Amino acid sequence: MKNLVHFRFTLLVIAAVLILPLSLGSGTLATEVLIFALAALGCNLLLGYTGLMSFGQGIFLGIGSYAGGLSLLHWHLPLLPALFCAMLAGALVALLVGWFSIRQRGSYFVMLTLAFAQMFYFLAYTMKDITGGDNGLLNIPRPDLALFGHRLMATGSPWQYYAFVAVLFVATFWLLQRVVDSVFGRTLLAIRDNETRAAAVGYDVTRFKLAAFVISGAVTGLAGGLHAMMTGIAPLSNIEYHASESILIMTVIGGTGNLFASVLGAAFYVLIGNWLSSLWPRWLMLLGFLLIGVSLYMHKGLYGLTQSLLQKLRRRTVVEAAQINRNPAKEEQS
Amino acid sequence: MNIYLLQIVNGIGIGMLYFLLAVGLSIVFGLLRFVNFAHGAFFLLGAYLCFQLGELGMSFWWTLLAAPLTVGAFAWLVEKFVLRHIYQLPHHFHILFTVGLALVLQEAVISYWGPLGNNISPPDLLQGVIVAGDFVYPKYRLFVIAFTAVMALLLWWLLEGTRLGSIVRAGSESTEMVGLLGLNIDRIFSLVFALGAATAGLAGALAGPIRGVEPFMGVEALGIAFVVVVIGGLGSFFGALAGGILVGVLQSLMSTIWSEGAHLMIYIAMAAVMLLRPNGLFGRAS
Repeated sequence: MKNLVHFRFTLLVIAAVLILPLSLGSGTLATEVLIFALAALGCNLLLGYTGLMSFGQGIFLGIGSYAGGLSLLHWHLPLLPALFCAMLAGALVALLVGWFSIRQRGSYFVMLTLAFAQMFYFLAYTMKDITGGDNGLLNIPRPDLALFGHRLMATGSPWQYYAFVAVLFVATFWLLQRVVDSVFGRTLLAIRDNETRAAAVGYDVTRFKLAAFVISGAVTGLAGGLHAMMTGIAPLSNIEYHASESILIMTVIGGTGNLFASVLGAAFYVLIGNWLSSLWPRWLMLLGFLLIGVSLYMHKGLYGLTQSLLQKLRRRTVVEAAQINRNPAKEEQS
Repeated sequence: MNIYLLQIVNGIGIGMLYFLLAVGLSIVFGLLRFVNFAHGAFFLLGAYLCFQLGELGMSFWWTLLAAPLTVGAFAWLVEKFVLRHIYQLPHHFHILFTVGLALVLQEAVISYWGPLGNNISPPDLLQGVIVAGDFVYPKYRLFVIAFTAVMALLLWWLLEGTRLGSIVRAGSESTEMVGLLGLNIDRIFSLVFALGAATAGLAGALAGPIRGVEPFMGVEALGIAFVVVVIGGLGSFFGALAGGILVGVLQSLMSTIWSEGAHLMIYIAMAAVMLLRPNGLFGRAS
């Protein structure tokens, strides 16, 4: 039982991964939820655990798609090495961007990450020979999962690919949960809560922040690689301002400081977005209002909302139970 | 040679616009201590108001007054009724709020004016070019340089020469102290936020006849405003001026040398400045 409580979030994620196919008709949509949940996990590690609000997550998503796409197109790498390339590219670029940005704090940091996002957008736009410019990389293949030449699993159909992404997602989530539960993760929390004090205690704050940045970049890069394989293209829009904004919005709407919240946020954003955009092309306006609402009234996001609702429910059950217990006594007195 | 001279003058013109765009962001940060992510949306709104009022028959000169005033009034209301209540929250809620506001404004612009761009023609007086020897230059761009220079002087006087300016500067040092001196700091906050938005709106209106209007110009403007204040130093008037002109001239020169990399170059310049002076050219050490 104690073990179950320890793994409760991983179990929740496994449940979510199983519920998605049961409740959605489209394997592609379900895969998209998991891919953006990965990106939101990376963002949450920075915002929720380290206190760094990064507007540059689109860089890593885009670089991941390009690296994954290029390694499949030009080097004809198998599935897993191609994804490793995407992760590595995300991590390396995060090292570079992080190294510049984390020297600044607060709002300045946020501005810098956004400026870097713009920089990489124009870089991708300019290097047409490599990135395909406006068109992006086209016709990216999706090889079957193979290990040492043995074919383990087909990924051709949307649901097959979903199964592969789902396993990878649960594994990544479990690993990240271990990271945030470790001493390293606790140190990040200390930095988030009081950077000056963490530095005074003797932690090399800059190095910890940079490490968090690199992990975040790697996870987001992986998401980018998976996305490129899902759609068969690595579009310029993956590295745009809008991509960074979306990832941040998913993270915030889900709630920060808990990894499972990011899964909620990504699912909410992708599914509601998919539904609303078919009804009204300007649905992003509603999202803007939602964001305003979150910043005014709902600071812990959907996860916090669910938590407080559950708490209220529990309290009411306790109160009701107490009343039921009390009432017979009253009757006896009268 | 001539083409480079032309591009430098061009760059100063664009740079002055960038200054006007960035200075509001900088002043608002100086006093209110948060970065306004809706600043680009105010620029966008200014440009579209200029376009719309022109379509309705208002002369360009009046739109230059009406567009920024409307944007400023809108920002004043936003500050007074919403922003004011979230100042005490951590800074990332301010950012979220303004990101949400920017999203709402951008989508509102698209749903009203459509996703495609439009052109604004400069007023008759400023159409055509000025010829001086072998130097040929569009009249409207010369006007922009002169007009923004006057605006820069006015702003500088407002900040350095007036009572309001001295309160704002004191407020950047310590808002509590200014409040203790019995000054109504709330009113000054609203005023400064409105002023910052109005300058962005004015920059948008002035930029309209040069680059046309399209719904995503706000995002681009936000990115450039950030680069300008990162280069110049956040909260510094002269930083915004120097950063703006530097970015404008660089972008303009690069567009002759390597047009595709013109935008990329300004971000590389930002990274270079950050390496050498992390707080910007005119920034104070934090």
